[in-house]
Amino acid sequence: MEIRINLDVMMARRKIGSAELAERIGITPANLSILKTGKAKAVRFTTLMALCHELQCQPGDLLEFVDDEPGLGET
Amino acid sequence: MQDWLKSRSLLFSQFFVILFALLLLVLDLGCVPIVRWFASLRGMGDTSRRGFLAVILVCSVFGWVLLFAMWRLLGNLRRAQVFTEQNIRLLHTVSLCCALAALICIAGCVFYLPYLLAAAAAGFMALIVRIVGNVFQKALDMKDELDLTI
Repeated sequence: MEIRINLDVMMARRKIGSAELAERIGITPANLSILKTGKAKAVRFTTLMALCHELQCQPGDLLEFVDDEPGLGET
Repeated sequence: MQDWLKSRSLLFSQFFVILFALLLLVLDLGCVPIVRWFASLRGMGDTSRRGFLAVILVCSVFGWVLLFAMWRLLGNLRRAQVFTEQNIRLLHTVSLCCALAALICIAGCVFYLPYLLAAAAAGFMALIVRIVGNVFQKALDMKDELDLTI
């Protein structure tokens, strides 16, 4: 069970590089790398907002909930 | 005045670690004649005197380990490395040394009953340092989470 970040996919669609995106949203390339590799433990709303603004997408395009455990209705 | 004290607080602590190391060295070097004098004063038997001396010598080993751990901890703090795994390990080492010294002192009560007071003090100190170590562990977890919040 995890939240997967599909930032790579969206960046490829928008044809934008890591360094440029990091500069546009005002975070360091190292932090963008943490976000891309899924090592981040939390994402600020301001960062998410800046990402959505620059990539012209919705939060749901960037974040995906992957559920590999049975929920309440699936027991 | 307060800023002056604040900036030199760690230096003071390191100075006291050195002072305690010197006192421990004096104790190690002079404990045999001191214990002999004390035993004759209290009218202790030969077995009690040897047990009394053994407790001091064994506890001094833990004392050296403890002082070395505290010296390294203060050095890390001076380098602004506060919430690190190494510091948590050092705090747990200090706590363990206090706990072991407390156990030795409890065993030493057979030879000299007032060792019970030293055991209580060392045990209480072990508990306090262990709690400080737990606080550091929690702070490190929170720092990691904050560092990985983008």
